[in-house]
Amino acid sequence: MGTDRILILASAACAYPGADAVGQAHLSYPANTFVLRVPSPVVFPESFYYDSFEKGIGGIIVMSCGVECPYEGAYEKLAARIDRVSLGLKEQGINPRRLKLTSICTVCTKSFLKEVADMNSILAYEGAET
Amino acid sequence: MNSEEVKIGVYICHCGGNISDKVDVEKVAEDAGNLPDVTVSRTYTFMCADPGQELIVEDIEKHGLNRIVVASCSPSLHETTFRSAVVRGGLNQFLYEHVNIREQVSWVHASTGEATAKATTLVRAAIARVRHHEPLSLIRVGATSRALVLGGGVAGLRAALDLAVYGLPVTIVEKSSRLGGQVAEFGTVFPTGESGAELVRTLVRDVSALEEITVLTGARVTGATGYVGNFTVMVEQERGDGSTEDLEIPAGAVIVATGSRPYEPDMGEFGFGQFPEVVTLPDFIQILNETRADGDLTVNGKMIRRAAFIHCVGSRQIEGIQKPKPGRPLNENCSRICCTATLKAESDLIEKFPGVFVYDLYRDIRTYGRNHEEIYERASRDGVSFLCYEPATPPVVTMAAPDDTGNLLITVKDNLTAGMEIEVAVDLVVLAVGMEPADVGPLAESLKLPAGADGFLQEVHPKLRPVEMAVAGVVLAGTCQSPRDIEESCASASAAAVKVAGLLTRGHVDLEPYVARVNADRCEGTGICLSQCEYDGALKIVESVIDGRAIRKAVVNEALCTGCGACVAVCPTRAIDINGWTLDQFEAMVDAMCADPVEVASD
Repeated sequence: MGTDRILILASAACAYPGADAVGQAHLSYPANTFVLRVPSPVVFPESFYYDSFEKGIGGIIVMSCGVECPYEGAYEKLAARIDRVSLGLKEQGINPRRLKLTSICTVCTKSFLKEVADMNSILAYEGAET
Repeated sequence: MNSEEVKIGVYICHCGGNISDKVDVEKVAEDAGNLPDVTVSRTYTFMCADPGQELIVEDIEKHGLNRIVVASCSPSLHETTFRSAVVRGGLNQFLYEHVNIREQVSWVHASTGEATAKATTLVRAAIARVRHHEPLSLIRVGATSRALVLGGGVAGLRAALDLAVYGLPVTIVEKSSRLGGQVAEFGTVFPTGESGAELVRTLVRDVSALEEITVLTGARVTGATGYVGNFTVMVEQERGDGSTEDLEIPAGAVIVATGSRPYEPDMGEFGFGQFPEVVTLPDFIQILNETRADGDLTVNGKMIRRAAFIHCVGSRQIEGIQKPKPGRPLNENCSRICCTATLKAESDLIEKFPGVFVYDLYRDIRTYGRNHEEIYERASRDGVSFLCYEPATPPVVTMAAPDDTGNLLITVKDNLTAGMEIEVAVDLVVLAVGMEPADVGPLAESLKLPAGADGFLQEVHPKLRPVEMAVAGVVLAGTCQSPRDIEESCASASAAAVKVAGLLTRGHVDLEPYVARVNADRCEGTGICLSQCEYDGALKIVESVIDGRAIRKAVVNEALCTGCGACVAVCPTRAIDINGWTLDQFEAMVDAMCADPVEVASD
């Protein structure tokens, strides 16, 4: 298990069942991953991301439904917010690649595994700061 | 509730060994039991079984528990199960928190030490969250007393008939110009030997006789909106003059019965498309039905004296041996019906044309259903000659030499004769093609209906919720879900009808209370939340005068709020939250995840 903890904010309609599908297929990924089920990640204010990093989270993967989000306009608002937070992280000297917005569907098992592997790679080789 | 002493019960499920083989559940329970306010912490073999649920009920009564955490499988399977147990114990169902330590821990992590540490952390986070839970009430909304059945094949007809018996109005939407689907073209069907066309005629006659059922043929769904109890399905129906009419059908629930289609072999696959004497099983059945018994069996003008049937075409495909079609995965599954259907077709052929010699080339044969084995025995008695091939060396179909006894030559390594290479000359090759899911169309996109990796629509759980989809109010019937025979299709259709009847006969549905709520003490009436809300009327600013001062506060309309949370993120005073999913709860979980790391034991 990597020492850095990865927080996964998983939309209840798409990404959370997607994470379940990975389990149902008995595929494997590192255990430093913690999935939070959430109706839509648009609920989190910018401060949530800064605070989570401050608390010790190594990386955050926001797994949304993408353009298939069941909530009107939520994905666009979320994407704009993640862009702003990424800029803010960079200004604070924090590696912005520690925050990733992606779309995971209910059967996107390979994408789920790739995102987890990519984030672990970033945490292992790029470091926490810019 | 906040002033009440918090007493938490924590239950860790073994799930047989599904969890406990990988997670040290006793260790997880011991850790939880040492946390503040945790009154009870136990493990049990199957928490979802009645004795497991009763543990919760008894502990609530005995220890005065007022918060419950269960760590088990995915919440999609048993969150409602444990909520029911919590209610039976006398608590509000939303004072419950579910932790997924099977699909997201024991099934995905190889190391017992790491899996145990992660499960421990997740349970700690759930305990941190459950402290913030408050009693909530379901939101009750009226439900449209009509079901829409998409697909007018056997499954769709069966489901509609059953729904009508419960007194529910039904609309069947069928894209073709007639009802009955593929079964009407099957000739006689196993295991009863009754006519497929007659079976369909009976169902259609019964459907036509019921005023509860409206049938739209030549109609296709163009989209759908809404939610359980209140869907609106947009349908485009062809008129007799070639024009189309757009309809909007309100429906409380939707049964998807869009069926399947036969696998179409690739050009050259066992000679398909290359030689006209290579046909699929459905095509052969049609040829056999249309040929009079007193004449000769001919295909493309050639008399058939020897025929070979090849099993598992488009089923049980193996990477590296077969190639997937563009945009489709390999069909790795058994299509289940082809063995019995092929053997029946062979016997039907011999019965109708006793002079025809039949070869059966198989990988494995399994006539799995009740009374299906008799069909295998009948084919054996009828003199069918069996040849068994290995998946890696499938039969090869080529043109026969001009002086051969047939038009086509099949070369196969036969396991029944110790792998000897055998050549048989035949006049006809019949490919026992598998099942592929039919295109569900825009409904799947509009309602976000999940499909499995094989393209068939996906139920919530094959055993626990076998006909329900993750989209509430949408249920499955027949072969749109997986390959199955007519009996099984009808069984699933009847199950789907019961599910829908249970949902709609009450006249209302209860929606989960996950909508926005405003803390009026914190709200300063800035209206920023309004700027983020996409749903007309879900949020508004209400002005009132208190003590001579004009006060502005945000107010939520629960019936129109979808609970997306876009408003929550922008409130400068954190005055707005989603019921049951508050920012305080998420932050408490992150705090728990970042607290002292759980020691990882070596495996």
